[in-house]
Amino acid sequence: MSFTAMDLHSPDTASLLKVYGIGDAEIETLHAWKAHLEGGGFERVVADFYTWLQRQPEYEEFIDNPETERRLRRLQTTHLVSLVSGEFDDRYFSNRTRVGEVHARIGLPLHSYHGAMNHLCLCMLRQLPPDVDPLGATVTLLRVLHLDTALVALAYSRYANDRVAAQSKALLEMSTPVTEIWRGVLLLPIVGIIDSGRAQDIMTGALTKISSSRARVFIMDISGVAVVDTAVANYLIKVTRATRLMGCECIVSGVSPAIAETIVELGIDVGTIVTTGTLMQALVLAFDRVGLSVEQSGRAG
Amino acid sequence: MKRSRWRVATEADVHLIVAESYKALEALGARPVQAAKFTTAVSELARNILKYADRGYIEFVELVEDNRVGMRAEVTDKGPGIADIELALADSYSSSGTLGLGLPGVRRLAHRFEIESEVGKGTRVLIEMWVR
Repeated sequence: MSFTAMDLHSPDTASLLKVYGIGDAEIETLHAWKAHLEGGGFERVVADFYTWLQRQPEYEEFIDNPETERRLRRLQTTHLVSLVSGEFDDRYFSNRTRVGEVHARIGLPLHSYHGAMNHLCLCMLRQLPPDVDPLGATVTLLRVLHLDTALVALAYSRYANDRVAAQSKALLEMSTPVTEIWRGVLLLPIVGIIDSGRAQDIMTGALTKISSSRARVFIMDISGVAVVDTAVANYLIKVTRATRLMGCECIVSGVSPAIAETIVELGIDVGTIVTTGTLMQALVLAFDRVGLSVEQSGRAG
Repeated sequence: MKRSRWRVATEADVHLIVAESYKALEALGARPVQAAKFTTAVSELARNILKYADRGYIEFVELVEDNRVGMRAEVTDKGPGIADIELALADSYSSSGTLGLGLPGVRRLAHRFEIESEVGKGTRVLIEMWVR
């Protein structure tokens, strides 16, 4: 069996139980624990745990009033009951995922969570049922708590990934500023990476602005783009075709020597696309297209 | 010998790998054109994985010989494989409706190019670039 990070992001219940070695024998042991803890035992484990938790630095920061503590104690008792009930179904799993999300969102460090689970393990072991094999019961508890913590850790990492994705999306959305630098002349400096999503943003942004400004020249400056592979070149070619259909000439400026050589080796046919090495050359071309010329005024220089 | 292995499964993976590849080449003392060529080749191969194989891996190995240094990238996937490598290496061939170009271009960009592929098993491409 092989796992990749992708699979682990959406593990199914059965394969997780198999990996963590939780089968009928383990569930039977958990049931013995449950029988032992009913009638006040669960509350004793939670009280034991909170005696420790109250001495931790995280306690003051995250549990700021008695009502919160009462609510959390109730939730933890419920969790312990469901843990030793051994009903590891989709509901249990989504429940743990939600717990992970909640902890990640308030910024509780993962090692604090894991440390607390580690201590909870000790509190449970202090309430070992009398008529079970202590080693077997300990191993069962470790397996179940490790699985439980893994689900929370997965939720933490998913939360972090989602946040990074949302941030970079927000950043990219702000990064296609098509500006009218002169009447009839638009400029879009592209910095960084062009992917399919960003290419679509560029296309939409450029065409919208061409339509509203009735621009006749659109300059795309790619001096901030490190790599132009065939996919990126395809995007650029499509943008130039679309702008041309709207009666607007497209100039791709900022083609560095390294990119020029790479494009030739790749064998990309840039066809009729107008390209320039520098933005200045592109500006001269653009002004020419719209019937303007730049002259030295004689006052400066 | 420095070695690093990366998973390729999303566009974001490709971006990260492309950025790292460029930095690694610069760190070896590559000229901009060498960094651009190698990184573009890496980008082509990584995008091919997304396009055809869904997921795969890239492993970079720093090459050191008596009087030169360079970089190797080994790109592997367990995708559908390439039925006719000769055809895939011919200019303007594409089985996915886009500008083909990828593989013949990659071959021209690198100093060494190797490809192995078996239908139904996957593809392995190796490229090397010497920088000085």
